[in-house]
Parts: sequence; structure tokens; C-alpha cells
Amino acid sequence: MTLFDLVFRSMRKNIKHYYLYFFALIFSVTLYFVFATLQHDESVVERSGGSMGAAFSAAGILLLIIAGIFVVYANAIFLKRRSREIGLYQLIGLSKSKVVRMFMLENILLSSGALFIGIGVGILVSRLFLLLLMKLIGFDGYITVTFSTSAVLQTVLVFMVIIAFTSIQMLFTVYRNTLLHLFNADQKGEIPKKPKSILSAILAGLGILLIVFGYWLSGNMMNDLLFFNMLLVLASTILGTYLLFRVTIGWVLYQVRTRKQGHLGLNNSLSIASLMHRMKGNANSLTIITVLSAMTLTMLSGSYSLYYATEQETRYSFPFDFMLDEIRSEELPEDMISLAQFEDALKAEGIAYTKSKLELLGVEGEYKNTNFPAIIGPRDVLWNSYMINAEQLEEAGLDIGIPEADTIIYHEAQLGVFVKDLNLPFQINVTSSEPHRTFEVVKYGEGDVYNFSTGPQLVVNATDFERYKKEMAKENFLELSPEWVVRTVYALNITDPKQLPRASEIYGGKESIYGEDFYSIYENALRESGLLIFIAGFLGLVFLISTGSILYFKQMTEAEQEKQSYKTLRQLGFSEKELLRGIVRKQIFVFGLPLAIGLLHSIFAIKAASFLFLSDITVPTVIAMSAYGIIYLIFAVLSVGYYRKIVSEAL
Amino acid sequence: MNEKNIKKTVLHAQNLTKSYGTRGNVQDVLKGIDLHVDEGEFVGIMGPSGAGKTTLLNVLATIDRPTLGKILIDGDDISRMKDARLSTFRRDKLGFIFQDYNLLDTLTVKENILLPISLGKVKKLEAEKRFIDIADILGITDHANKYPHELSGGQKQRTSAARALINEPSMVFADEPTGALDSKSAAALLKTMEDVNKERGVTIMMVTHDAIASSYCNRVVFLKDGMIYSELYRGDKTRQAFFQEILKVQGVLGGDSVDSI
Ligand SMILES: Nc1ncnc2c1ncn2[C@@H]1O[C@H](COP(=O)(O)OP(=O)(O)OP(=O)(O)O)[C@@H](O)[C@H]1O
Ligand SMILES: [Mg+2]
Repeated sequence: MTLFDLVFRSMRKNIKHYYLYFFALIFSVTLYFVFATLQHDESVVERSGGSMGAAFSAAGILLLIIAGIFVVYANAIFLKRRSREIGLYQLIGLSKSKVVRMFMLENILLSSGALFIGIGVGILVSRLFLLLLMKLIGFDGYITVTFSTSAVLQTVLVFMVIIAFTSIQMLFTVYRNTLLHLFNADQKGEIPKKPKSILSAILAGLGILLIVFGYWLSGNMMNDLLFFNMLLVLASTILGTYLLFRVTIGWVLYQVRTRKQGHLGLNNSLSIASLMHRMKGNANSLTIITVLSAMTLTMLSGSYSLYYATEQETRYSFPFDFMLDEIRSEELPEDMISLAQFEDALKAEGIAYTKSKLELLGVEGEYKNTNFPAIIGPRDVLWNSYMINAEQLEEAGLDIGIPEADTIIYHEAQLGVFVKDLNLPFQINVTSSEPHRTFEVVKYGEGDVYNFSTGPQLVVNATDFERYKKEMAKENFLELSPEWVVRTVYALNITDPKQLPRASEIYGGKESIYGEDFYSIYENALRESGLLIFIAGFLGLVFLISTGSILYFKQMTEAEQEKQSYKTLRQLGFSEKELLRGIVRKQIFVFGLPLAIGLLHSIFAIKAASFLFLSDITVPTVIAMSAYGIIYLIFAVLSVGYYRKIVSEAL
Repeated sequence: MNEKNIKKTVLHAQNLTKSYGTRGNVQDVLKGIDLHVDEGEFVGIMGPSGAGKTTLLNVLATIDRPTLGKILIDGDDISRMKDARLSTFRRDKLGFIFQDYNLLDTLTVKENILLPISLGKVKKLEAEKRFIDIADILGITDHANKYPHELSGGQKQRTSAARALINEPSMVFADEPTGALDSKSAAALLKTMEDVNKERGVTIMMVTHDAIASSYCNRVVFLKDGMIYSELYRGDKTRQAFFQEILKVQGVLGGDSVDSI
């Protein structure tokens, strides 16, 4: 019998073991190939621009690392399941080197098969992903995917390296282990030792303490040591998570079990006892999976929130579609469009719009009784600020309410989420004219009230506004011409949103002193956040499926290891249903715990990062997290299904 | 002899047939077996390898279903029961001692033993009492909190026996319980089984290859090719005399005599 015959025979016989590993390989190849294709696709490169190209490359490297770890991990499980077979070959007299050659050959056959199929599937589905990407970044044109030779080459190269790794792994398994070890490897568990009471209790508590500390710090890290704090949060939470899995949970389970004094009952026997049996071996992988889940969840929720909130966030800074000054065209540089020219062009194309006049009164002053957070910087002086007439804003379609006499509605989009921690009311003493006048700030308004604002906006009612305007004009402001006291701008809103892109095109994205128009900023933001959500989603999917599959693989292995127990239990007279009840409990623990802790971690991470957002991101976060949970649930259900099969075949 | 006739029948098998395989390639493993077991009996089953002993035990113990025939245990016709009911029946009325112990590695000795009554109506206090009694009889009290892999073969087998007895079964089935034990441990286990049989009146059916082991029984049933070949009653004979008698039949039957030396 040649080596080839032996290999083929063993592969045929072991198909049950192989398909898992095979699937893991194909899956990794496919996703990597799709990513490589997109990376090399001209339309993507063109649309996503230079800075995003870097994001793509970084994501590619990350993907590579995950795929590598995943394949190596799957191979480890695969090898463990087959260690008896490896031992058997040696027992019947094959030399180690021959066994290695045999497994090597097998691995190469398997891997090239997976590479071939994976790339094939990749070619089929890459168009789908490209369509999705283009949709996300708001591109409606016709899309073709060109077959990319460089993507194929890149994929083949990357996976050759990974295959080399798995071969080395195999080599180690054969050479490093004794026969006895090989024969027992698939049966191995541990006996839950009595934890050394005091030390374990301390470590168990420490695990929770570290996590809680990490959470607390994540909410209080806005000071000069921000970067250091972030690292500390990470370290504390990860170490805490590890201790949680390594000690705390084992300790708690041990306490529960001791309490039972031997009267464990079937459900606990199938869940608690089985978990304790493998706690040590599972601690590492559960920690990694939990931390990965937390990262993925944070990444997903964050980028989805960004995408979800794109329009809202843009609106916060660009409350009007267009904002222009009334400056005669001959005074403008050539690449700027004047109000009159713009209006003419809109009318010529039959685009309906509304136009309102806004007066912006530049004022200075000082704050009193404020508590702006450190990250914004201490504020006592008010500068770079405009006083604005609420009634004019209302006329322009901005429904923000009319403040009472001597009060201000304060707008500043940059403050974002910090707004909710600021105390109210506080006072602003406006000092641009004599006598100084003190206004009371009674409310923070959402976002800015004119486009491209760079400072606070004090919205007052018409009476106050007119009075202050007069006082400022009276004040002898030396040579300053009146338009430096009051800036008159015009807010234009397009009536039919469908015509907005065309209007934006007419405007040409040209810079006026008040910046670009709403739509071109929005389109740009959408493109960036669309690409970001795509990359995050793609990586998230890979993370999710990898971690989910690893848990699933592990459960499959455990189910097989415990087959004899299930047989015994059924012989003793426990029904399938009763056994499954205990097994489901274990699955809830195995899948639920990493998910729950991962979720908790990411909730705190998102909360800590929420200052990056101007708007509320609860909805997108909840959606992203639910999606994640549902996919995990699917894996748990698959796993229970596998157990069900094992249990029903046990007798 | 007279006394026996008054006793209640716990198990009654009629015309048991068991075939394996599909059409065209059917193998009859049991070929019409009739068997009565009275309450409090200690029955041994012997026969050459492949005779169908394990199959018979499995069928009688409701772990497997007969192809044909009827089995009554405590008057219940188990060949007609649904799987779910069979499970409950097994749990409530039967006990098992397996050749390879089949203890759950993840559970301690005590947890293993208490497992069969963990879903029943037995209260915790009562369960604790039963455990203390049985562990005492079988001499495993000191090992209660150990895990199976910390035990010797004999201790494991006794744990397995304790687990079989904890639910106070009407009948205990044992498949080569001494198969993996040295002669001393085997003797100890058999002695306890005998005690349990005598003192608690538990009916026991034990498959064995070992003539010494079967000499502890009241009766030995010999199987050959799926049929009952002969039966021996111990009556008032000494164990030694019964042992000699068993050896003789075994010699005629062939196959297993080597084991008994
Ligand atoms: N699941 C099965 N499928 C097919 N044939 C079976 C099955 N189980 C047992 N047999 C066959 O039935 C016959 C009797 O098997 P059984 O295990 O009852 O023998 P035994 O008397 O217990 O033998 P031993 O003393 O070696 O344990 C054997 O020929 C065996 O091949
Ligand atoms: Mg047998």
C-alpha cells in the first residue's frame, strides 16, 4: 500500500472529522479572498479615496491574523480529535517520520482543496459584497467585478504560510507526544481540585474587582492621562476577565457544588460538573473569545452608530442646506458662487427653495457658574461667539423655541454628549457693549443653528436681539463698518429633498466663507462611515463566525467525549429530554457567558466612546448588539442539535 | 424447593427472540428463551462468548428491545411500553452494574451513587440515609468525595454497585461485574452482592464467565447459541460443590473453561 492509498483511505474514513476543519479552511479562504478582491478593485479604490485605502490595508492585516489564528486553532482541535489515530499508526509500526509524511500529504491535499473551493466561492460571492459596499457608501452606478489575479495570488500566498504553520503544528503533535499521551488526549479532562480556599477567594474577588474598576475608570478617564487611562482600562478588564474565567467561576461553581453535599441532581451533573471538569483548559479560550467579542461588539456598534447617525450628525453642524452671504459677484474670487448666481441657477432648473435672512451678531463676554469638563478646557471667557435672533431662525425653519426676555438658548454642537452633565442655569455676561448685560442660559439646544459654526451660539428673542444690536451699534466701535457688527447671511433650503443632490452640484461644493453645503458634506461622511461600517461588519462577521465556530467545535468535541456518560445515563433510565435539559443549561453557560460579559464590556466601551458622537446612539448600538447575540444563539442551537444527535444515538 | 413456589415472580420472559441485521442477512442471537426469575433470587448466566448473554441481559433490562416475545417485570409488560415509560421504569425499578463500571468521570463517588434518585420523589434526607447505609455496606464511605480516576478498579465496581442499589430496585442486572477485578476484589464484591441479595431481598441477575463468581448464585442458567442449554440450582449445596458442578457443565459447553482456572 502506498502512502497515497493510506492517505485516501484514512481521509474517506475520517470524513466526519475532516469536514469541520475543511469548512474552517474554506471559510477563511473565502473571506480573505473577498477582502483581497475588494482591496484591489478599481472602483472601490477610486470611490473610497486614499485615507480609506489605509483603513482597508489595516483591516486586511487584522483579517489575516484572525484567519490565521482561527485555522491554527481549528487544526489544534482537529489534531486532538485524531490523536488516537496518530497513536494507532505508530502502534502498528509506522515510523514517526512516515506518519508525519502521511499527515503532511493529507494536510496539503486538504488545504489545496480548501484553497481551490474557497477562492471559487469567493469569486461567486465577492460581487455580492461589492454591491453591499457600494450601497453602503451611497453609490448607485453600475458595478462590475473584475477578476483579480493579484487577489488570487495574495490569497494563495497568505494561505501557504498558514498551511506551513499547520504542518509544523502537526509535526509537533507527532514528535513531541508519547503514545500514551496520544491515546489519552481526546479523553483528557481535569479533576476539579478543591480550590485553596483563601487564595482562590481573593483571586476570585480580584477578578470581579478588576473588571468593575475598569468599568469605573472607563467612565472617568477624561483627564490629562487619557491615553494612560485607556491602557489601564484595557489591562484591568482583560486581566479581570481572565481571572473571572480562570478562578472566579470555578470558585463559585465549587461553592455551589459543595453546598449540595453530593446531592447534585441530573441538571447540575450535566452542566456544573461537566464545566468544572474543563474549566482550566477552557479559561484561555473563553477569555480570548470574550475579549474578541467585546472588541467586535464595540467596533460594530461604534461604526454602525456612526453610519446610522451620519445624517443627524451632519445636520447638527449644517442645519441648513445652503448658507450664503449677500456679496456682489464681482467681489468674489472666481471659484466662488454668489447668492444671486446660485438663485438664478436654481430657478433656471426649476428647483423650489426657501430663503431666509439671518443676522449674526458677533459678541464677547464671560461665563459664570459653569462646569465645562476638563477635556473641553476650562472656560471663563466667551469668544468667537454669535448672538442670534430666535424668530429669524424660526422663520428659516429651525424650530428651537423662543427664549424669554434676558435668557439664552445655548447652542454648540461640539459639546456633544457632555451637554447632559453641564449644570443649568448659568450666566453669560456679554461685554461687547457698555453697560455689560448679563443673560441667563436656561437651555442647551441640539446642534448648531447656522452652518459651519465654530463657536457658541446665543439664541435670544427678537426684542433682546434688536436692543443689543442697537447698543452695539451705538458703541463707538472705531472704524468697524456695520457689517462687522452684524453679519447678514441667507439660509436656503431645497423644498424637495430629491433635488438636493442636483442643487449641491450647482453649488459645486464651492467654498464660501461659511464652508461647503450640507449635501456634499453628508455625502462625504456617508462614504467614509459606509466604508467603515463595511470593514467593521466584515471583520465583525469573521470574528463572530470564528469565535462562534470555535465554541461550537469545542462543544462537538466535548459531546463526543461525553458520549459514554450519556449512554450510561440513558441506561440508568434518564430520558433524552431530561438529559437535554441539563445540556441546554451547559450551552447557555458556554455561549451565554462570553456573550454576556463581552456585551457588558462593550457597553462600557461604547459609553466611554460616546463623546465622539453628537447624537444619541442607543438605537444603533442595541441593533448591532442584538444582531450579534442572534448569531451566537444560532451557534448555541447548532451545538444543542449536535448534542441531541449524540444523546439519541447513545443508547 | 417448596418455599420457592410461594415466592412471587419478578421477571417472566416468554419466547424471547432477538435478531440483528437487515433482510437477507439476519442473525438470530436469541432464539426463543423462556425464563422465570423469582423474587429474591440470585441468577447467574453463563455461556461461551457470543452466546447472547449480554444481549439477553440488555433485552431483559429494557435497554434493548426484543424482536419477538414478551417480558413481564413485576407484572408490567415491558415489551409494550413506550420509550419514555421504559426510562422511568428503569430508573425506578431496576439497577445496573456494568462490566466497565460506567461511572461519570466528572462526578464524585457520592454524586455518582446519588444520581439515579436525583430526579425521583426521594427526599434529600432519605437519599442521604440510603447513601450512608449502602456506602457502609460496600465499604466506600471513605471515598465518597473522590473522583472515579482516584479509585481502584474494585472501588469503582463497588461504587457502581452502590449506584445500582440506591433506588432500591426490584431487580439488579450485572454484566460481568467481576470481569476486570483481581480475585480478592472479585470475592469481596460477590460477597456483598450475596449479602445484599440475602439481607435486602434484592433480586439479582448476573452475567459472568467466571465459574467462581457464578458459584455465589442460587441458580445458573447456561446459554448456547441463543438458547437455554441447561440450568443448575444450588439448593443446599456448598459453594465448593456447586462450583464443581458448574465447571462440569462448562466443560461440556466448551469455550470458557480456560477462564475459570
Ligand atoms: N448491535 C449488534 N448488531 C449486530 N450483531 C450484534 C450486536 N450485538 C451483538 N451482536 C451479535 O450477537 C451475538 C451475541 O452477542 P452478545 O454480546 O450477546 O454475546 P455474549 O454472550 O455477551 O458474548 P461475550 O461473552 O463475548 O460478551 C454475537 O454474535 C454478536 O456478534
Ligand atoms: Mg457480553
